[in-house]
Amino acid sequence: MELKVNGRNVSLDLPGHVTLLEALRNDLQLNGPKYGCGYAECGACTVLVDGQAARACVMPLSAVAGREVTTLEGLGTRAAPHPVQRAFIEMEGAQCGYCLNGMIMTVAALLMQEPQPDRDRIRRALRHNLCRCGTHQEILAAAERAVVLMAENAPEARG
Amino acid sequence: MTVPHLMIWRHGKTGREVLLTLDAAGDATGYNGHVDLGTGIRTALGQIVAEELDLPPARVRMVLGHTGATPDQGPTIASETIQFAAEPLRRAAAQARALLGQLAAARLSVAAEELRAQNGRFLAGSGAGLDYATLLENQQIDAELDPQAPVKAPADYRIVGRASPRVDIPAKAVGAWTYVHDVRVPGMLHGHVIRPPYAGRDSGDFIGRSLLEVDEGSVSGMPGFVAVVRKGDFLGVVAEREGQARAIAEALKVRWALPPELPDMQDIAGTLRAMPSTPRLLRDQGDLAAAKARAGVWRKRSYSWPWQMHGAIGPSCAVADWSDGRLRLWSGTQNPHVLQGDLAQLMGLDPQAVEIIRHEAAGCFGRNCTDDVCGDAALLSRAVGRPVRVQLTREQEHLWEPKGAAQLMDVEGGLSPEGDFDGYEFETRYPSNLAPNLALLLTGVIDPAPRPSDMGDRTAIPPYRIPNLRVVAHDMAPIVRASWFRGVSAMPNTFAHECFIDEMAEAAGEDPVAFRLRHIDDPRTAELIRRTAEEGGWEPHVGARLRHEGEIAYGQGFAYATYVHGKFPGVAAAQAAWLVEVGVNRRTGEVSLSKILVGQDSGLMINPDGVRHQIHGNVVQSISRTLGEQISFDAIAVADKDWGSYPLARFEDLPAIRTLLMERPEEPPLGVGESASVPSAAAIANAIFDATGVRMRSLPFTPEKVKAALAEAPMPAALPAPARPRRGGWRALLAGAGAALAGSLAMGVVAMPLRPEIPRTQPPAASSWSAETLERGRQVFALGDCAVCHTAEGGVPLAGGRPLETGFGTIHSTNLTPDPETGLGSWSYPAFARAMREGISRDGRHLYPAFPYTAFARITEPDMQALYAYIQSLDPVRSAPLPAERMTFPTNLRPGMALWNRIWHRAQEFTPDPTKSDEWNRGAYLVEGAGHCAACHSPRNFAGAEKAGDVHLSGAVIDGWYAPPLDGTGPAPLRWSEADFYDYLRGGSARHGAAAGPMAPVVAELRELPEADIRAMAHYLASLDRAPDRAEPEPAALAAEANAALETPTDAAGRLFDRACGACHITGPVSFATAARAPLVFSSAVHAPGPQSLVRAILAGVPAPGGGQQMPAFGPVMSDEAITEIAAYLRRTLAPGKPAWGNLAEAVQAARAAR
Ligand code: FES
Ligand code: FES
Repeated sequence: MELKVNGRNVSLDLPGHVTLLEALRNDLQLNGPKYGCGYAECGACTVLVDGQAARACVMPLSAVAGREVTTLEGLGTRAAPHPVQRAFIEMEGAQCGYCLNGMIMTVAALLMQEPQPDRDRIRRALRHNLCRCGTHQEILAAAERAVVLMAENAPEARG
Repeated sequence: MTVPHLMIWRHGKTGREVLLTLDAAGDATGYNGHVDLGTGIRTALGQIVAEELDLPPARVRMVLGHTGATPDQGPTIASETIQFAAEPLRRAAAQARALLGQLAAARLSVAAEELRAQNGRFLAGSGAGLDYATLLENQQIDAELDPQAPVKAPADYRIVGRASPRVDIPAKAVGAWTYVHDVRVPGMLHGHVIRPPYAGRDSGDFIGRSLLEVDEGSVSGMPGFVAVVRKGDFLGVVAEREGQARAIAEALKVRWALPPELPDMQDIAGTLRAMPSTPRLLRDQGDLAAAKARAGVWRKRSYSWPWQMHGAIGPSCAVADWSDGRLRLWSGTQNPHVLQGDLAQLMGLDPQAVEIIRHEAAGCFGRNCTDDVCGDAALLSRAVGRPVRVQLTREQEHLWEPKGAAQLMDVEGGLSPEGDFDGYEFETRYPSNLAPNLALLLTGVIDPAPRPSDMGDRTAIPPYRIPNLRVVAHDMAPIVRASWFRGVSAMPNTFAHECFIDEMAEAAGEDPVAFRLRHIDDPRTAELIRRTAEEGGWEPHVGARLRHEGEIAYGQGFAYATYVHGKFPGVAAAQAAWLVEVGVNRRTGEVSLSKILVGQDSGLMINPDGVRHQIHGNVVQSISRTLGEQISFDAIAVADKDWGSYPLARFEDLPAIRTLLMERPEEPPLGVGESASVPSAAAIANAIFDATGVRMRSLPFTPEKVKAALAEAPMPAALPAPARPRRGGWRALLAGAGAALAGSLAMGVVAMPLRPEIPRTQPPAASSWSAETLERGRQVFALGDCAVCHTAEGGVPLAGGRPLETGFGTIHSTNLTPDPETGLGSWSYPAFARAMREGISRDGRHLYPAFPYTAFARITEPDMQALYAYIQSLDPVRSAPLPAERMTFPTNLRPGMALWNRIWHRAQEFTPDPTKSDEWNRGAYLVEGAGHCAACHSPRNFAGAEKAGDVHLSGAVIDGWYAPPLDGTGPAPLRWSEADFYDYLRGGSARHGAAAGPMAPVVAELRELPEADIRAMAHYLASLDRAPDRAEPEPAALAAEANAALETPTDAAGRLFDRACGACHITGPVSFATAARAPLVFSSAVHAPGPQSLVRAILAGVPAPGGGQQMPAFGPVMSDEAITEIAAYLRRTLAPGKPAWGNLAEAVQAARAAR
């Protein structure tokens, strides 16, 4: 099974029914995506597949062969965080942070498609992302901050 | 680890306990027995150390809850960390600074008092300075804690009391933080536990004694299998990989005894009153009887609270490593030292032989399965002698976490003739305890006796001046596993106090805030109440104002509490007041919150940002608990297994939350982790009252409950007639009666001999066929889906044995591999061709038409030969004898099949239609020949033969799935165009949805066919459309309207669908790679005459073409009722013109039973 993960080609000797989440976490040691429910109900496992959000817990490896997967680790690093990650750090968009991966990846996917969403669009985008700690207000603030940071970053990205 | 240059320690429960160290660089490490539960305690404790030591916060590291390294300070509960557990740490830091000051004074030859410290450096008045690292050179200071070490005056704080960024978030935001879920140790295996059927129960004789039988043989051959481990009712498996462990656990054959039934868990009041309990008098003052006798107003009320879940987003996880009689555990526990004792008991070890390394887990707000999973991992690791990681599933966490207990508050009280709150009697019942570690119970190490708790008394004493007061807590054992949950019993107790006082204010003809203030003595509390009311725009009023606009009624509500926690009489944590504004939809019962202000007095705030975030979290969570959360139970156990059945509040449910933080830097810091939750439910109930005149006394305030309450108490003022639900134009387009398509399908494999046997022969060697022939044969083989029917579930590919249910009985498929005895290895080509074309086995017996020889007869001679060649080139596999067939008349009779063949079957090769194109003819050949589409998509007659002519390919029900018409008469709103057929056959999905059920393997096999063949099939199938010119709705508009309907559910079923299925089936602003590719409104399954396909897809999910599932099977987590509700909801919402499905509930039960 060949796929691209965070810009690197990887080859996994695993049956196609193994979930992308298991392969990312256990075989590639990528801890960003989290197991929360296994039923696409919580969002904790979100990654990007070819730039679109995907719930890795319900995605079999067979469906990602030859495709490009980006995890939280691939978005940015501590030294060079992605604007969405920076926004969540600045606005403290986490309490325990278990849902944080899903929130960041979903917001990143949203902003790639729609750079200027309003609060209502952000809410709708995060409609199926659950957070038990009640960090919603900070998460919304972080997403709005991300809109600004992305816009600031955009000229550089293009240049 | 480097040797510390300065160390402060104390004599604690476990001997010498280190509190603080400084290293050579002068950086500090603080040790605390409490842990960070996601509340930012790590940051706040670091601030305290940094403050007293005059170090920048970045140079302080905290080690929390590691049994080998940190002091035993008991469990991290009741928001006690800052209030109590931080104290020794603060003193240690102050002492360390004093010691450093003495060193500096000596080195600089000045008096210690003349030195200032800043940023890890001492400065003398002269300007000379020395940093901590220099001071600590060659030092080895080792000092016992001086609990009286002088600490800074709050006025001198520079770090504490200011916002300090959370130290953990930068790593968490980039995936560089190691939660307990992320711990991996060398040689680690994966465990999975199998829990008993008494989900969520922990007392009674049956606990630990219900496991009757385990069949290890049922799984020992599975990939990755390592072990099955059993002790009492503890049962687990160990495997190489995580997914393998789960698959093995799910396949393991186990027999359990059924537990006794639960009492009526819906009737909280009746059940709690009937429970054995011990009354404990908490307060008895004044003369209640006299107060009642003279009262102007006296009311008796009951308030109830449901069972609720802690609901951590990450199911519990642990890694255990047993070696040489010692146990190391990586754990997310809230109580490292308690857990250490429990595990020592479980394993028969000395506590010192158990080391617990604490990592953060998902925020859990009380006791969840975190400690239980440590017991699981420990037992499994010991059994296999290697490190084992156990990750509980979502279902296991839901079912087994010790629940937040239900609670019942029976209250009576009244006003003096002067209108003062004069008498109050309060009785509370809280069936909870400390939830003993599950492994101890399951293995029988401890007795599963009921263990009552005394935690029902938190904040049981009302905060108001009431001269005649009696407060009783009825201590009782849990009914289901229960343990503290944020706000413990204080939240329900306050719900009762604060709703009742609201009612008293109304009775007194006073404004509720003014009435409260009149009964408060403490000026600090009074100020909080007053300021919150002012800031929040409180509108003083008496009784319910019943303001409304259209169907929405508006109201304001207020509530206040000082959270009193710890053993009675307890200690006060921060106090909080809520002011909330609600809108109540009188038609649907939905309560929405439009504004919230929470005022809080937390004393000194170590990190005001942290306090604010804690308030927000408490507000969101308590809104969720108040408006939506209630666990359901079936007759024997907890029933909710996923987030569909147990709802959490989401972004759209939440208003902007404002906070008012009282500045009290001179007062001691108070715990802030729970206080803001406590007044929530009462504030919302009081607001609903102001809006509607209805008092809600039982949580949660779901739309259904509010609606019912409103119906009982109609609004005095006339309301406009309720608006009709909008029925969009697109629905009309979908209208049209769907005739029920019934069809029974005869299937069968071997009947009795009639025709002559063709002798066994040795087939030609595989090398005698060209690669081209073999490749052609492989394609025909794939097109014919041979592998699908001729492989048993979990069996050897192509070796047969798959049971096929038919209307005439069950038969089994045969071995297709070239094994000479049991397969086709001694079949000559003529024998093979006769079977394929005429349905006659080599030995002369008739084959049942479940084997689609009626279609295969059309295969051309060269293709047939290639198919034969390909089959003979496979690896032979010897198969077990097949069970005897039991068929019903007439197919069980030899002449029956012969006659059948004579009437219904024409064994003729395909002949092209010269009036049609080559592509059409190629498509027809593939579809009607090897592809045998009609076998499923044509209705069958009474004899089980495919009907031809007008009804050819006009749809049927097969194997419990609906095979929709392929002739354009299907029920789905969109036509099947050539492009649709192509997308579906090539990629497994079209505008109408993804291939599911029996079509999934068919599409998977079709991947072997060349492009041109798939195009030809699509071309031919599209040509069958009987009404190619009929109008079809504009797909985008149809999808958008349907999506809007799904996105704004107005009933419980719609909300259930949204939670459980919405991430993939409701289109939002983000496009999903995992989402169902076609809107459900296009799916044949929701428009079909019967619910079979939809129900089956929900139960079994949808497989992915290349293996695995593209939609998970919801059968394991959804109840029959939930599936019935969802199916009915989709039918009425997406196919409103079509009749509702009759007998839906029975269809769901039947489909589940068939699995
Ligand atoms: S773990 Fe994938 S959505 Fe919950
Ligand atoms: S921050 Fe804990 S679940 Fe969201």
